[in-house]
Amino acid sequence: MENTLDTSVPQPAQARISKVAFSGQASEFFGIWIVNLLLSIVTLGIYSAWAKVRTNQYFYGHTRIENQPFRYLATPVQILKGRIIAVIIFALFFIASSLSPLLAVVLALLFLPASPWLIVQSLKFNMRMTSYRNVRFAFHGDYAGAFKYFVLLPVLALFTFYLAMPWVLKKIDRYMCSNTSFGGQKMQINTDTSSYYIAVLVAMAAVMGVITVMIIIGAVLVGVMAATGAANVGVATVLITAAVFVMYFFAFALSAAIYHSMIRNHIFERTELPGIAKFKSEMQVMPYLWLTVTNLLAIIFSLGLAYPWAKIRKAAYLASVTTIAVYPQADSLVDQVQQSSSAFGEEAAGLFDIDVSLA
Amino acid sequence: MSASPAVNGQFQHAGSSTLYRAVATFADNGQLIIRNSDNDTALTEATPADYRFGSVIPGLAVELQLRDGAIFVPDNPRFRWPQLSGTAKTAARLESHKLSILAAVVLSPLLLWWIIVDLMPMLASAAVPLVPDSVKQQMGQQTFYTLQQTALQPTELTPAQQAAVQYHWQMALQKLPLEYNSYKLHLYKSDFFGANAFALPDGTVVITDELVTLLKDKPDAILAVLLHEIGHVEGQHSVRLIAQSLGAALVFGILFGDPEGIADLLLGSGSVMLQSAFSRDMEREADKFAVEQLKALGKSPSAFADAMSALLSERSTDDQGSSTLLKYLSTHPDTRERIEQARQHDPP
Repeated sequence: MENTLDTSVPQPAQARISKVAFSGQASEFFGIWIVNLLLSIVTLGIYSAWAKVRTNQYFYGHTRIENQPFRYLATPVQILKGRIIAVIIFALFFIASSLSPLLAVVLALLFLPASPWLIVQSLKFNMRMTSYRNVRFAFHGDYAGAFKYFVLLPVLALFTFYLAMPWVLKKIDRYMCSNTSFGGQKMQINTDTSSYYIAVLVAMAAVMGVITVMIIIGAVLVGVMAATGAANVGVATVLITAAVFVMYFFAFALSAAIYHSMIRNHIFERTELPGIAKFKSEMQVMPYLWLTVTNLLAIIFSLGLAYPWAKIRKAAYLASVTTIAVYPQADSLVDQVQQSSSAFGEEAAGLFDIDVSLA
Repeated sequence: MSASPAVNGQFQHAGSSTLYRAVATFADNGQLIIRNSDNDTALTEATPADYRFGSVIPGLAVELQLRDGAIFVPDNPRFRWPQLSGTAKTAARLESHKLSILAAVVLSPLLLWWIIVDLMPMLASAAVPLVPDSVKQQMGQQTFYTLQQTALQPTELTPAQQAAVQYHWQMALQKLPLEYNSYKLHLYKSDFFGANAFALPDGTVVITDELVTLLKDKPDAILAVLLHEIGHVEGQHSVRLIAQSLGAALVFGILFGDPEGIADLLLGSGSVMLQSAFSRDMEREADKFAVEQLKALGKSPSAFADAMSALLSERSTDDQGSSTLLKYLSTHPDTRERIEQARQHDPP
């Protein structure tokens, strides 16, 4: 679809088209990241909650549509509470699975029904903590829906030898988008099952292609080695181990780049906030693959120090391929729910007004 | 009347996307007044208790938040409100000051290294005595049962060979001051493990027929192997390995929980290497234990080196010297290094 947004659909009012702008700087974020890392280490991880909030505030604040930034509203204490719970759950699992396989299975079975609740909780929290033009996002999914899409369907897909998995992935994306609202207006999404199958097939074909090429190169190399009599078993073992490792990373990066680009473009094309905004994503596989592979290499060869640069670069790329059409109604939205509560969060927040997450 | 200068910016009411060009001023008593700069009408007023400042983040404007949910954002991203306290600005100052950034670049890896290499093992050792014996027994029994079902077959050694191994075992148990008291030795044939021996946390020690046969001319070497395994149990290595790996997983999860794309995989391989490193440390500890106890029993520490040499020559057919890469993935130290270590204890 090469149509620009303003001509593709008849519109009630003239929409303003604008690219998403990202103004974060790698050098500036490097300072934030490394200082927060040190403070997190020194405080035995406690400061990591503050670090997460500051990092998100930096990235949200530097992401702008029509010169208006996003805002991240969570407080460090909320993040800290969620982390403490996540650490306890993680430690229990880790210890149980090390002590006894049986105990681990029992815990996993107990955790399975709890996981949809945690997912909904996390989506609700993160949406509510995201604001644009002082209007918040919200997530309206419930336990039953999350159980169906995150547990039931993936388990059923197992019995189709994962042939139904692309359809399940479509359902999951659809569930998440259609339950997201901005200023009380729910998103509308109309994705195709066929697009998911095509994306998965193209990604798999690309991986097969990479493997075939590598096998041919490997066979030629082995032939050359055998012919020249340079066959040293020790050296060959190391070379093959390294080659398999590299191939694994590359195949993973390639399939992820293909799937992400195709699916993101499709979802953005088919999603809108009726009367408020329409979206367009123009990701391309090769530039995105180049971005992820060079980011990874930079992180490896800088021993992790290039992480802030890689993160900024990725955010800048994703912003640069995203276009938003904003309708005039977006300038006068009023969120009733939000107006009735205090911004300082002094009224007792629920015990579980948190995101249970290690990251 | 206003003590502080007027600040230009944009104002929004609570939950409203409508933008107003606005000017914020403060009265002497701290009262905030925000006026619409297009038509000079009042937008809102607030007492000091009803407004506060947002986080100070390098490169971003500091917003003024009102209790009812309205916000005012200065136009100039570099503007810092004079009312901001020093502590509110501390984090941002550290994050953008060259000296603190340099200090963080140097100190972060050093501290991380110290935590993983020294602090974690220390905490793990301290935590181990808290684990009740019943848990260790459960761990041992479950693993033993699984291995019996999958990798172990009944021994095919002659009663005389079995008795010889049991004799060394009993001697070690009786003569050594061991802390743990429910040791059990089992002999099994195992195609899966080959010539090998292992210890479980409940004191169960298994030595394979293949290893006994390999060392049949060196009775002291069998004793050395058994002592090495006892060393694992005495040092409570199974439980310590779990505690250390958990600690490392948590450190990486919390500090780098949000890695960039496939760097995730990289962190995964990092933690495998780390776990192998922990395991190698414990093997060295068990080696040291075996050598010391051999001396206590009046045997030559070179018996341990003999056992390792025998294993090395048996395996050298399929192991052409370990490369540097594989060394970091190995759960055991290099065998030649272990032989060297044991020989150093030889009386001259």
